[in-house]
Amino acid sequence: MSLIQGLNLLIAALLLAGIYAAMAVGMTVIYGVMKIVNLAHAGFLMLGAYFAYEMFERFHIDPLLGAVLALPVFFLFGMAVHWLLVRWLPKSDTPSLPSLLLMFGFWLVLQNFGYVIWGNDDRSITTPRTLWPVNLGPVSVPEVKLIVFAAAVVCLLILQLVFNRSWFGRSMRALIQNPYAARIVGVDDARTSRLTFGLGTAFAGFAGSLLGMIYTFSPDFGRPFLLRSFVIIVLGGLESISGVALGAVVLALVETFAPYVPIPMYWHGWFFYQVSDSLQPAVSFGLLVVVLLVMPKGIAGLFAQKRRLA
Amino acid sequence: VKLPSTFQGWLKLLLPWLLLAALLVLPAGKPGANILKLLFITAVWTTTSVAWNLLGGMAGQVSFGFAVFYGLGAYTTGLMMHAGLNPYLSFLAGGLIAAAASFLIGLPTFRLRGPYFVIATIGVTEAVRVVMNNIDITGGSSGYRILEEKQFNPLEHYYTAIAAVALAVAVSIMISRSRFGLALRAIKQDEDAAADLGVNPYSTKLKVHAIAAALVGIAGGIYARRAAFFYPGDVFAFQTSISILLMPVIGGIGTVWGAVLGGAVFGIVEEELVVNFPNFHLLLYGSLLILIILFEPDGLMGLLRRVFRRRREDPGSENSDQVLWGSGSVAGRKL
Repeated sequence: MSLIQGLNLLIAALLLAGIYAAMAVGMTVIYGVMKIVNLAHAGFLMLGAYFAYEMFERFHIDPLLGAVLALPVFFLFGMAVHWLLVRWLPKSDTPSLPSLLLMFGFWLVLQNFGYVIWGNDDRSITTPRTLWPVNLGPVSVPEVKLIVFAAAVVCLLILQLVFNRSWFGRSMRALIQNPYAARIVGVDDARTSRLTFGLGTAFAGFAGSLLGMIYTFSPDFGRPFLLRSFVIIVLGGLESISGVALGAVVLALVETFAPYVPIPMYWHGWFFYQVSDSLQPAVSFGLLVVVLLVMPKGIAGLFAQKRRLA
Repeated sequence: VKLPSTFQGWLKLLLPWLLLAALLVLPAGKPGANILKLLFITAVWTTTSVAWNLLGGMAGQVSFGFAVFYGLGAYTTGLMMHAGLNPYLSFLAGGLIAAAASFLIGLPTFRLRGPYFVIATIGVTEAVRVVMNNIDITGGSSGYRILEEKQFNPLEHYYTAIAAVALAVAVSIMISRSRFGLALRAIKQDEDAAADLGVNPYSTKLKVHAIAAALVGIAGGIYARRAAFFYPGDVFAFQTSISILLMPVIGGIGTVWGAVLGGAVFGIVEEELVVNFPNFHLLLYGSLLILIILFEPDGLMGLLRRVFRRRREDPGSENSDQVLWGSGSVAGRKL
């Protein structure tokens, strides 16, 4: 691997990390506040992609603007879903199976709507920008990836501000840290949950639109990204936005570089095994299991443990 | 042997045997090929449903990863029959390989609890499918074909599938009445408390996982032999895992007959529905899952029980379903 190629890969990985972070953050806030493993996240991502697609095809709205428009639409949608389904779940301060299966059922419903409305075939959003390269010294990147990266980062920064500086953000953090104590000091549990679910869904729709600008999509679009989101939030320690960014970078690096790292193996003598491109999806799923086992509290948790020991 | 004293008791004792007898003599009525196929598929699905229920229902470990065992059973059977082994021994080989794989999967993942275990099993299924798509000796993603010299005999396939269901149900009933079954229920209710009482949750879960995997592997082999052609996108599909999980949830999670009922309903609905409304089966399963979780966590069995207003007689399993669904309490302690 030459230096230029390595640099290319590194930049590709970082750009990928931006969109991964935007994708995982919606799942993270919902998990943090409500302790719900939101499997319907995959469905929201898929709907987000089709939202931008329809906006572009019907009204000729630039998909980037479409993604921004997706935010309020999906916010309301998420609140409706919370009002209709999620709030009836038995209350629990740890992740529970009914919530997981409920969201899974809702995902199936969304997927079915996707199939009925848009059919089985792959779609993509093709704008003049899609293939237009931007040259940064020796490295060249498709312009659309840069735009998507910038949009994702801006959105994450705004979310971080909301999280740290507003009353709503403060009640979210309180519920994440200690739901019991938060209720005692008067945090409106139901209202914060509803808003959080709306926020999480809004981000899923937004990230879905961005993903739709880069990849082709079908109604089954969200599944691989659902697992990736989960890897990221577990890597990031499950409940902080900066953790999500860190997790996204790690996952993107591993996914991008895995096919290039030779693994020494022994079979009638030593040799180097290289993961083939077609096996790349298995890498992230394998990473998921490894991460869950080795560092259930994420990378940050690993550091915290070290500090406590010292 | 203690004989029941009431009519209901007799009914409960005899109904399974009557059902089995009916299924065994049914071919004498010369049913059409479609009916036999429908019953075959339903029996295969029911076997997997009953097997899933051992781990997911009794021990409370919800797994989205059973397609792995189904697919491994199918592929092992295919490879073994290709090598000239007797089909029935090939089914057993499929079961054994699936059980071996269950250890490989269970050893790491059973360190996780609740939703973490669930997510890990999703990861495992997806990874295994990707790998199977890329293995050369089984034809990769283009699939594997079983060539049999013998003439196709639907009756033989039918009876094999019925035997598999009977085996799965018998194993389940034996487990649910044994000490091992009690241990499983204890783990479902509270893993730490079970450990304090001398149950080793880790090894108990591994054992039941292996039993369930073996049954699913056998079912996969039986399916593969009749289908004669299969590919990773079919037997290893996420959809297969979902189906295997949905059946016991629909029927009534945690009860053997709930799993049977769920499997039977699912098999028949699936076969009829795929033909008539190919676009709506996800919607049906999704909304069914939502309705069941919000309104009737015990599934069709719970509904039936409510209709007939009968309390369950088995004290060991009382409350256990509520425990899985997060609203139970044991000795005043909220779970």
